[in-house]
This record gives sequence, structure tokens and C-alpha cells, in this order.
Amino acid sequence: MGAFQWLMKKITKTFGRSTNALFYTLLYREILKEINEITKNEEDSLIILREMGKRAAYESCERHSAIFKFMPGNPKKILDYFEILWVVVFGKELDDYSYEEIPKEESKYNDYILKISKCPICSGYGQDKEDTFNFMKLKDKETEGMACGLCGMLESVANFILKVKRNDYRIGIVEQKCITRGDDCLQFICKIYDYKEWQEHTAVRIQDKISSHIRFEEGIEEELVQETKLDIIDKLQDVISIDKLEEILDEPLEGIKERVADIIRDKLNMEPEHFFDYFRNYEDDMIRIIGYLGTHLLNEYGGLLEKSLKNETVAKIFGYLYKQIKDMTLLFIPLDVIRDYNKLLVSFLDGLAPVEMVENIKLFSAKDTIKYLFEGVKMAFENLGIDFSELKENVWEELKKEREDELIPSEASAIDRTRENVPKIINLIQEILMIITDIFTLPIRVLISESHYGLKTAINSVVSEEEGLYGSIRERFDNIFDQIQEIRR
Amino acid sequence: MNYTREELIQSEATMNQVRNSIYHLARFMDKNGVSDIKERLRRMGKNIARTYINYWKPTQVVNISNLKDYITTIYQKVLGSYVSIEINESEKLVIVRDSKCSLCKYHYEDIEVAGCEIIIGMVSELITQINFISKDSSSVFLEPFEVKESRTHGNKSCIQIYKYKIGGSN
Repeated sequence: MGAFQWLMKKITKTFGRSTNALFYTLLYREILKEINEITKNEEDSLIILREMGKRAAYESCERHSAIFKFMPGNPKKILDYFEILWVVVFGKELDDYSYEEIPKEESKYNDYILKISKCPICSGYGQDKEDTFNFMKLKDKETEGMACGLCGMLESVANFILKVKRNDYRIGIVEQKCITRGDDCLQFICKIYDYKEWQEHTAVRIQDKISSHIRFEEGIEEELVQETKLDIIDKLQDVISIDKLEEILDEPLEGIKERVADIIRDKLNMEPEHFFDYFRNYEDDMIRIIGYLGTHLLNEYGGLLEKSLKNETVAKIFGYLYKQIKDMTLLFIPLDVIRDYNKLLVSFLDGLAPVEMVENIKLFSAKDTIKYLFEGVKMAFENLGIDFSELKENVWEELKKEREDELIPSEASAIDRTRENVPKIINLIQEILMIITDIFTLPIRVLISESHYGLKTAINSVVSEEEGLYGSIRERFDNIFDQIQEIRR
Repeated sequence: MNYTREELIQSEATMNQVRNSIYHLARFMDKNGVSDIKERLRRMGKNIARTYINYWKPTQVVNISNLKDYITTIYQKVLGSYVSIEINESEKLVIVRDSKCSLCKYHYEDIEVAGCEIIIGMVSELITQINFISKDSSSVFLEPFEVKESRTHGNKSCIQIYKYKIGGSN
């Protein structure tokens, strides 16, 4: 599994609202039973459950649309990333599944069959007396099974991604096998339709699919995203989707340079050398701009940073963190390491930027680079709402002041909760520090390994994905996500 | 071999989509002329509890001395919520405040019932099921009373109220 795929799954899982999985499954069962209580027709109940699943997932996707912009933008790749869809919908890892591609002549994309050996929705169904929805009553063999609601959710998430990625294809996911109905696994067939076919496919009204005289509101017509509605992330999504990022991670430095050159040619309609020429003799400003734009780019994700910094306390915390990291960087990171980063920047610009500019950057000391970078970040932070003039010398003085003002609540339960969280926060900070240390060893590995001329080689340079630096970073992120999950509770 | 329900108890699942489904179910009920939506949601909770108790029983008896602990345990272990609980002895009420209710998150203008009606049905039934087996005279029995506030109705947190009685008498 790629690094970004893994990261996406972790983020989705950590920031979703989790409950016990048995509660989830039983609630799902009860929804189906209540639908059936109204329809009195098992086939119709499953059709309606599927439709409810579709709508529920669509509603959720619309609320968190930004995260889906980083997903790959074509149907085949979405199915390659099926595990993410599963985690988005269910929040649980997909244990064991396999693919089978069904060739489809005269069509751009093939169909796929997905076999999932364990289905949480079907688990233990029929063992308890409250499992009263009777699958034996189903007459039509084509009817979907217990996981039809889940299937609707998966289809909805997949098509929402294709919609935000402005793709003209859509995926139809249908449950073909169901463990509760006696099959050996949960099986989905995933058919890919072009937009016209999809409209025809979905044109049949729910009301016409069901035989009982119940009323069901038809779905909202899906519309394609108009160019004028696109924000900056939309425009960048072709470059920064997880599949593209993983391709970049798989490519060596030369590949990355080529890709950057292509982006400049493609998006800015100019040669890379011409583009970098604008910064000739202003190389220090270029580094400041990297820090400045980097911070603003972070903010582009739903304006989260800016919104957070509107809160005075959060703004102060960020301010102190900035100050702390700035002070600590030169203390903790050996100048050699920073020099290596400078060399890496030089190697990166060599061939892309004018020779004179590359020579000027070579003259920068390690301290200069760090200083310019932090200046850029500070400018961005000021822009986003941090008033650095209001900050004390260090965070402890600030805390002392707050206590005198009695701003920290003295209620016993709040103190208990804080005490409970302190070790978790310390663990979190520790993991973040460790990860920073791990990451900072990267350029040394890149530069000293003559034969290992690339990021990925360096990341994996120790032994393997599990035991190498990549594995170590991944393990630390696992810990970080676990700590965040604990603290969020 | 598929998962067992015992195995599911050990893991977590993300509730977002199923939570939304509850409100689509409520709309579906309403559209089809169901008038007792609240009672039906509570019934769903009761059914969940009756199955759940077969796989998870953290104590043998619930009485007034461990009532708060037991409710806290249910909310934490089953629903992933940290709640504050108040017992009003004069009116025999248990008041639970959940600021991150797992079944209510967004304000729906068109919905009159709160998703956490399911929760009050489930919690009271879990206690009933345990004490029904124990037959202890100090046992506490809970009945769903009302969802006083809910994030579904635009409130900041959900306030779920139960009526209790000890040993089957008022």
C-alpha cells in the first residue's frame, strides 16, 4: 500500500466519529427492519436501504468535499484505491479482498469483480432472535443482500470523487454475493459507465423499482462541477492527488525535476529557466516565498488554519510553537544537515534555473536558508492572524498570566480530564519530535548514497518498507494518529 | 470464516454514514404516515440492547451505587462518548449530557425527533436486561423519559433523561 493511501486512510479513520463496530452493525440491522416494517416487502426494503445508504454517504461527502479532491480522478484508479472507499464508509480496515478484471470490448474501462472474504454487516446474522429480517423470503435471485446499504454508500463515495474530479465516468457498484444469503463471501460487481450511460442507468425512479405502495422521495439530480466554481485546490488537484503523489515518491530526483518542469510549462506556459529567472538576484526572497506560500497552501485546505487562528488562544499557541520550533531548529538540527538541504535545493535547481541563480544559492549558509524560510512562514502567520508583538518571552510566562486571571477552569472534572490528557499530549509531542528527527536524516541519506539517487531509495535505504526509515516514520504516524484519536475522545 | 459478533465488539467503526441514514429513515417514516417515530427509534435501541447484552456484560447487577459508572461505561465503550451524569433523587431522574453524541451532529430543520432516542432506548434496556437476570432487590430499572435537548434540534449538546426506579417499586 502506498504511503499516501495509508495516510489518507489514517486521516479518515482518525477524524471520523467512531463507535463500537457491533453497535454499528446492529443499528444497520435495525434500520433495515424498520424499513421492512413499513414496506412489508423484503425486496423493496433492500432497494430502499441501498438508496438511503447512497444519500447518507453523499450528504457526508458534501460536508467534507475537500478531502476527496486529493483522490485519484479516474474510475479505474478509484477502484485501485477501494480500501480507502471502504475506510471512508466503514472506518474499519478491509482484511482480505481480491480483484478480478472482466474485459469489456469497445469500452474504455473494464468491469471489476471484488471479493471480500469477511463482511462485518453479515457477521453472526441469524444467531440472535432480534435478527428478524428474513432473507428466505426473497424471491428474486438478482436482489442484493445484507450489505446493499453499504454498497450504496461505497457507490456514492466513488461517484462523488469522480464528480469533484470533473471526470465524465461513473461507477455502479452492485452486491452480487452475500454471506447471510449463504454465499462464501461478499462480492461486488463494479461497472464503469460514461456519463450518458450513467444517466440512462439511473433514470429509473425508485418508485418504479418497488412493488409495494410506499412513498419514497426521489434523489436529487447530480450536476457536473462547473469550471467557474473551482477553487485553488481544484486547480491543483491534478497535480496533488494521492496517486500522483505516490508516483512522485516512486520517482528519483530527476523525475521530480522533470515533473516540476512540465507543470511550469503546462500551467504557466513558460520554460522553467524563464520562470526561475524572475528570482535571479532575489534568491533570498524566493526562499521566503517558499515559507510564505507553503504556509498559505496549508491554509487552502478549507481555510482551517485561518479559521483556527481567529481564536486568540489558538493563535497564541501557534505563535509560541513557531517561536519554539525556530529556536530549536538550529539547536537540534546539525548545520551539516541543513547544509545538505541546501545542496539538495541546488541539485534540484541545477538544470531548471539559470546558472547564475544556482551559483548565488550555493553562497547561502545553512543558517541563512533557515532564517529566510522562517521569515516567510512568519509573514504568512501574521497575515493569517497571529500578532507576534503580543507574545511573551516564552509559553510558561503566558500560562502563569492565565492562571492569575483564573482563565484556566478550576472545576475538578476539567482538571482530571486535563491530567488524563497530559501524558497523551506529551506522547504526541514526543512522537512528532521523533518524526522530525527521522525526516531530517533524509537528505544525508540522499546525498551520501551515490547509487541510491532518489528519495524513495533513501526512505527505504535501511532494509524494507517495514523496517526501514519509511517503516519507522509510518509507525510513528500510526502512534500519532492513535494519540490524536485518544485525545479527541 | 466470517467475523463473529464477539470479534466486532473488539473493534470500532465510523458512524458518519449510518448516523445520516437514521435521519433518512425518519424522513421515510414521516412520508409514509408513521406517527410514532420516536417510539420506533426507541424500539430500535431496545432491540440493539437485547442482542448486545449477549456479547457484552460488564457487570452482574446495576444498583444505585454503580448506576453512574455503568452508564458512563456504556457511553464510552459502546458509543465512544464521554458524558456527564446527574442523578435527581427527588424526581427519580438520570440526566445525561453528551456534547459529542454519536447519533446527533447536525441541525436538521425538517426533523422533529433526535437520533439519540435510539440511545435512550438502548441504555435503559441494557440495564433492564442485566437486572432482569440478576433479580437483585436493589436493582435499578431505567425507562426512557425524554431527549430534552439535541444537536439535531440545534442545541449545543444532547441531554438525555431517564426515569429510574429501584427494585421494581416507585
